[in-house]
This record gives sequence, C-alpha cells and structure tokens, in this order.
Amino acid sequence: MMEVQNPAQKLWQDQPVEGIKMSAEEIRKRAGKFERRIRWRNRRESVGCLLVCGLFAYFLFDTHEVLFRMAYGLFMAAMIWIAIQLHRKGFVQSLPAGLEASSSLQFFRKELERQRDAVKNVWPWYLAPMVPGYVMLTIAYVVSFPHPVRWIGVAAFDLFVVLLFIGIWKMNLRAARCLQRSIDELNAAE
Amino acid sequence: MTSTQDELYRETAQTFGAALERLARAYEADADLRRDLVQEIHVALWRSFDGFDGRCSLRTWIYRVAHNVGASHVLRQRRSNAQTLVGLEELENLPDANQGEHAADRSHALGRLLGLIQRLKPLDRHVILSYLEGLDAASIGEITGLSAGNVATKIHRIKNMLARQFQQGGSES
Repeated sequence: MMEVQNPAQKLWQDQPVEGIKMSAEEIRKRAGKFERRIRWRNRRESVGCLLVCGLFAYFLFDTHEVLFRMAYGLFMAAMIWIAIQLHRKGFVQSLPAGLEASSSLQFFRKELERQRDAVKNVWPWYLAPMVPGYVMLTIAYVVSFPHPVRWIGVAAFDLFVVLLFIGIWKMNLRAARCLQRSIDELNAAE
Repeated sequence: MTSTQDELYRETAQTFGAALERLARAYEADADLRRDLVQEIHVALWRSFDGFDGRCSLRTWIYRVAHNVGASHVLRQRRSNAQTLVGLEELENLPDANQGEHAADRSHALGRLLGLIQRLKPLDRHVILSYLEGLDAASIGEITGLSAGNVATKIHRIKNMLARQFQQGGSES
C-alpha cells in the first residue's frame, strides 16, 4: 500500500464503516439463498413467456376454427422457443461463473460481448419465431371473415406489427453498436 | 468447501472488511441494497477461495472479485436505472461546483466524493477506488488488467480532478 498522501484518500479511508461480519456458517446459508434468488431471476423472463403461452393455450381451446387454432399453436411454439433462448442466453445473469477473479478488463469485455451478441441479431431467436403465428392469424381472419372492410383492419394491424418488429430490430442494432464501441474502448485500454 | 477456504475468508474479512464496505458504498448508494451488496461480495469471495491457486496475490484476488461483483451489480441496476455513466475524461472537465467554497463538513465532502465516484463507468470507478484505497499504479494495473500507460494517465486525471474538487476549498483535509 502506498502512503496516504492525498486529502481525498484520507477522507475516503477514514470514513466510518458498519463493520459487517459474517461467520462461515452464515456465509454458507447466504450462498444458498443467493443461488435460489439468482435461479428465480434467471427464470423470471422465461416464466413471463410461459404465462403468455398459457394465454394462447386458452384461446386455442376456446375456438373451434382450425386456422385460428393453428395460429395460436404457432404462437405457443414461438413463446416456448423464446423462453428457451432467454434461458440459454442468460439475459439477467449474476456474476458469470469463473469470471470472479478475472481482471476488470476481461470481466467487462466478456460481459459486454455477451450482451452485444444477444442483441446483435434478434431475428432468429426473438422476432422470426413470431412471424408464422402472425401470418397464420392473418390468413385465419381473411378466410373466416371474407369482407374487404374487415381486411383493412387486419392489414392495418399487420402493418403495425411489421413496423414494431423493424423498430425492435433497429433499436437492438443501435444497442449492439453502442456495446461494440465500449468493447473497442476496452481493447484500446489494454 | 475446505477449511482453507474458510481460513482465507476469515483472514479477508478481518483485513479487508472495511475496504470492502467502502467499495460497496461506491457501487450502491441505497443503505439496504448496499448491505446486500457487501454480503454478496463476501459470499463471492468465500466461493472464489475454493479456486484460489496463488497465481496472484491474495489482495489482487480479493479486489478483482469484489470489484467484479460491484460492477456486475451496476450493470444489473442499469437495466432499471437509466443514469448515464461517464468516463474520467468527462469528469475531469466538470466545473467545480464548490470552487472557493469552504466546505467544513467532512460528511458533505465525503458525499460529494461518492457522488463523483458513482457517476463513473465501472472500469474508471475501479481505478479511482483503488487509488483512494492507496494502491500503487502497478497493483492497480494487475487488478484491472489495464496497461501501465493507461493506469498512469487515469491516475493523473484522478489526481487533477480530486485536487480541483477537494483541495481548492482547502478545508476537507
């Protein structure tokens, strides 16, 4: 340790602390609690997808129209796929295993790269799986309600979905570019 | 779970307990969340000692683990908190809001220092905290993985910024 020279260093080091202490037994208990909390956090978004899936299951059993049933079935499959991908990509991670003792630079780079890879291309895992459901739903409406006036409403809804997808895609691309800039900054600092 | 792991943890808690609390203060302003963060750091350290192989010093290991837990906490919080974090370069150019003012109150000065630290990006926060803890440039480089040149530049900026913010008023020391 260096000698304290700077008033700010003295101010910092002289600040009062609570003196939080934990016995080895408390640590073990706490470690178990943290693991449970992290497991729940990792599952939370997947559980959200499965709840939406349950809603589509209700629609599926509520209707007798085959095409609508197919559309809801496709949405359910998409939600399950997204839930699996969310779990795999670990969007809400605690400290990644094995990275605890890596240098800050390595730690940040890994974390930023993971986030960048997750948002860089949202089509295959997040947006594309929803497309068959929307297409089938549109077909179901057009076939079940053969009135051009209704089709205008369906077309407007589809246009809204397309614009929403493009918006999500663009936002994620922008986020990926920001993350890449931060990664480049870290690479330059090494 | 070995006795060596427990021994290393006991030694760490005894020697670095206060430093770990100060570190947590720089990563979390809310007192309750901070207590949780301190405990999370303790748990991460205890767990990590299972794999401690002595390739770096115990102090380097402890600071790496603690800062990475803190940074992980900041990255998690950023999902719900849109506060923009800045680099040392931006902070160095900030106008000194209290220039010329004699702030006699140490807690006010400490609050101001914490406010500055909490605005920094995690890596810069790591460097300034290590500096405030009195670590030398070589140790900071070893812990952060930054090149010696980069550490020197950052420390130079930190010293300038701290001098402007905490010496011109003259009374905090």
